[in-house]
Amino acid sequence: MKVSYEWLCDLAGVHDITPQQAADVLTMAGWNVEETVLLDLSQLLVGRVISQQPHPSSRKPLWVHQVDLGDHTRQIIAGVDNARPGTLVPVALPEMTVPDGTLVRDGKIAGVEARGMLCSEAELLISDDHHRILVLDQGTPGQHLDEVVPSDAVFEVEVTPNRPDCLGHLGLARELAAALGRSLGRDFMPPFTGGVEPPGTDLINVEIEAPELCRRYIGAPITGVKVGPSPLWLRRRLFAAGVRPISNVVDITNYVALEYGQPLHAFDLAKIGGRRIVVRRARAGEMLLCLDGEIRSLTPDMLVIADAERPVALAGIIGGADSAVTGQTMDLLLEAANFEGVNIRSTSRTLRLRTESSSRFEKAISPETALAGARRAAGLLAELAEGNVHVGWADAYPRPQEPIRVRFRPEQVDAVLGAHVPLQEMEAILKRLEFQVRVQDDGEWDLLSPVFRQDVSIPEDVAEEVGRIYGYEKVPPTLPGSRRTSWHPATPSQERRLDPLRYALTGPGFTEVVTPALTSGALLDRLGVGDRAMQVINPVADDQDALRTTLLPSLLRVAAHNRSYGRQIVSVFEIARVYLRRPEQPDSQPDEPLRLGVVRAGLNGPEEGRAGFLDMKGALDRALDALAPVEVSYERATATLFHPGRCARVLVCGRPVGFLGELHPSVVDAFDLEGRAVGLELELEPVLAVDLPRRGLPLARLPAVNRDLGVVVAEAVEAAALLRTIQGAGGELLESATAFDEYRGSQVPEGCKSVAFTMTFRSPERTLTDAEVDGRLEAIKGALAQEHQATFRT
Amino acid sequence: MSSPAEIAERALAAIAAARDEDELERIRVEFLGAKSELIGMSRSFASLRKEERAAAGQAFNAAKTAISDALTDCAGALARARLSDLAATEAIDVTFPGRPPASGRLHVLTRVQREIETVMEAMGYHVEIGPEVETDWYNFEALNLARGHASRDMQDTFFFNESEDLLLRTHTSPMQIRSMERLKEPPIYVIIPGRCYRRDATDPSHLAQFMQVEALAIDEEITVGDLKGTILYFAQSLWGADRRIRIRPTFFPYTEPSFEFDLSCGVCGGRGCRSCGGDGWLEVGGCGMVHPNVLRNGGIDPERFTGFAWGFGIERIAMLRHDVDDMRLFYENDLRFLEQLG
Repeated sequence: MKVSYEWLCDLAGVHDITPQQAADVLTMAGWNVEETVLLDLSQLLVGRVISQQPHPSSRKPLWVHQVDLGDHTRQIIAGVDNARPGTLVPVALPEMTVPDGTLVRDGKIAGVEARGMLCSEAELLISDDHHRILVLDQGTPGQHLDEVVPSDAVFEVEVTPNRPDCLGHLGLARELAAALGRSLGRDFMPPFTGGVEPPGTDLINVEIEAPELCRRYIGAPITGVKVGPSPLWLRRRLFAAGVRPISNVVDITNYVALEYGQPLHAFDLAKIGGRRIVVRRARAGEMLLCLDGEIRSLTPDMLVIADAERPVALAGIIGGADSAVTGQTMDLLLEAANFEGVNIRSTSRTLRLRTESSSRFEKAISPETALAGARRAAGLLAELAEGNVHVGWADAYPRPQEPIRVRFRPEQVDAVLGAHVPLQEMEAILKRLEFQVRVQDDGEWDLLSPVFRQDVSIPEDVAEEVGRIYGYEKVPPTLPGSRRTSWHPATPSQERRLDPLRYALTGPGFTEVVTPALTSGALLDRLGVGDRAMQVINPVADDQDALRTTLLPSLLRVAAHNRSYGRQIVSVFEIARVYLRRPEQPDSQPDEPLRLGVVRAGLNGPEEGRAGFLDMKGALDRALDALAPVEVSYERATATLFHPGRCARVLVCGRPVGFLGELHPSVVDAFDLEGRAVGLELELEPVLAVDLPRRGLPLARLPAVNRDLGVVVAEAVEAAALLRTIQGAGGELLESATAFDEYRGSQVPEGCKSVAFTMTFRSPERTLTDAEVDGRLEAIKGALAQEHQATFRT
Repeated sequence: MSSPAEIAERALAAIAAARDEDELERIRVEFLGAKSELIGMSRSFASLRKEERAAAGQAFNAAKTAISDALTDCAGALARARLSDLAATEAIDVTFPGRPPASGRLHVLTRVQREIETVMEAMGYHVEIGPEVETDWYNFEALNLARGHASRDMQDTFFFNESEDLLLRTHTSPMQIRSMERLKEPPIYVIIPGRCYRRDATDPSHLAQFMQVEALAIDEEITVGDLKGTILYFAQSLWGADRRIRIRPTFFPYTEPSFEFDLSCGVCGGRGCRSCGGDGWLEVGGCGMVHPNVLRNGGIDPERFTGFAWGFGIERIAMLRHDVDDMRLFYENDLRFLEQLG
């Protein structure tokens, strides 16, 4: 909300603080001043125009003025001619920067000396009128301008939704005064100024048909108004608060809205059919031509202000064009009402129409504010538009607001704050905020909220009121906790338990990434992984309308991004959740398994693809081992997104946890990636659930005997099968065996391959002889020949 | 056939002339090797008479000792000469660039999150995590955010169904309730990191998908002072002992009283400069005393226990820590960026 410092300080009766001080005080009392724009007029002077002549040589129309500044006269050139001789005008001297940022130069314009500037309202930031020089109605030559037109500052203040009473300057002025240790010295409820007959109730009849949506409706007829421009002080304040002045009547309703936070509306009384106001739900099919020129279709969930026949306003949101005040308006109906916030909010959302009025009503303003606002507006309409304020206003208020009381003990406030606030000070703070305090015999305090406050209902609320005015900087910092007799034992977080795996992956060159979970549902469908995707019904963008069901597309996107910057090989991993709708309960929370995804992209051709596959397998073995000494095995498999011939199921301690392999060329293509990519994705929770201790086993002290063996078998026989046979036949003396090479070519028959194994034999008790080892090797060869029709290369 | 003394004489001359260790080894084989004249001589001792044997043995031993001593001396001299020459013979260009290992990096957000957790864990907090797809109850209702409440506008939400009861959590606070339910009995000191989602337009300081972390303490006699002290401890641990914090009143439905908390600017020390926008303070996050209704909804008796909660965006902390000015960089995953900060 835009707030005028000058207006605020005037209401608060505070005249001794700078804009910066005011902003700081407000901020620390809970009214965050996000921005301050200074409108400093103190350096400008009042001048009287002595003469005005057209510029002798300029092609553009310019006028040369002699201006009396009290102690001297200067020549000033202007582009408009309304500063006639005799008028008082604001004068900026050379080298000054005026509020709109214009630097005044000393020099010549088209050959004629110009020693200053006559300012328009726009240049002084007091309106957007830059077509004429501001003509002052008071002042003496040489006087500082800010003695005639006050300097100002515009604050952008954040008003929290619990405090609708501060949606106007008056509420913030009370807060400013209270925080400075002063009282506002101004009654919330202005006096009633009506004195003209007949009573307003004779001129207008008000009826609330939907009391659940309208708590109060005041209709005050003001007759005989003279519509015209508003005085400078009012226009200036409106403009500072961000509202364009229009005419005195409209300006006054806006002014009061900005002062009290109470939206008001003025109808042309003559246009209200049947002299009757009905507050009711719209009927199906009703339409309203609104003040902004739009015709809106209304539905029965919307509240309207209607006359005897048709809607004349959309309650609390926008007025109708047909009943609006015009230059010809003589008699007004001033509306000050209170509408139910949730309904206003929902109508405003449905119509996509948020106004100054709707945004205030949404926040549950007190219905008492309606009367205060109406009285204030009536007073100003009499003063500035010569309106007649009638006695006896129509005021439909079926259920008056109950006063809100809180009982609390002052120690409760101290207990919340962690600081002792002296009782007198606590009481003074609450009184400055216009609470009524009664100290009961039992030491409890009985607190009655002012009528404009509905947010203080429990002792914690009272503590907040006291604390923010007392000043939280006075609360000493402490750390919680005393001697504890119970506790919850610490367990390392899941994330932290996964750190060894992260580090193990960075070793072979994988960099961790963090990618968004919202992705394109269409993409997931196209990739064949969209079945269990959770679809967002109100996405911000089409490519962020579903939660991912797999990490691999996100990693491929990262690879593509980095390839576009010239990286050849991109190696990345992510540990994150995927989100899987439960098919049997689609409206319940999905499964959110934690997964590891790894991708290496940019590999060149099938051979590098195979090498990348083996590298990734090695990296995964090492990374899983970093978590626990688990047994990892692989078996041939097919899976969505993976190459049909190059994909393995990963098993941890015999339990399938995911897949590793080359990614399907069509998937790689879908991300505009060239070359081959290998990847893996697996569930981490089952791996973390494995509870295997790491044990220090005795180290072998006796020498080992190593033997290599080239096993020639048919293409289809897999290394894992050969290894099982070797281990079976090797017996206890075979300590380890692993395949280390694969060969195809002239040395082996067509359709066959040679798989080279290296084997280590060892006995814990004795040094093995060659004969013993040869015996085992023969047994292994025999088993391989029998089970796999293997032959052997020497 | 030469006498042992003659052999020794020849050997010593050869040793004296040896230029390197290879040559010395050849000399050793020639004069003391299994096939050498001297060693061959020793094999014939058995055929000598007893009195001849003693004299021959003495001569043999003297020759052999002389040769092996000379060999040892010479080997030592040659080795010393070789090692004293290393600077000339084996110099490499030590300014040549090192060969980097292939290793990757951790993401900066992981690192920053771990730093945050480490500080809080040292204070006795532990990490709780929970679902990102939440129900209306945990994300809003239980936190004092009733339907139709204007405060819900502060947190524009992604929904999964028209009834708006299944949604992406807008903050980590649903885990306040879940933590109370899981741990049941205070003292409860937990820290809750995780992904959150808001239907915001994306710009350098806003993301629709971001990470928050919040700390929750529920115990007897917890005060605003404790909240201030805890945040101050955290800020000084993460940024240095000279940092200060301040709390400014604001409104959140789930805390009462509620605050924003600011960190004193590290560039100007709080005097005001360009990097803090002139007021000396940097906005970090929100905090407050847990609202009694929230405690009740988590099954905690607000008459016995009170608590505080405070939280912030992890990206915000990472930005402050690493001078990053655009939040989107954290999710773009440009390796050049990650390698700078990883």
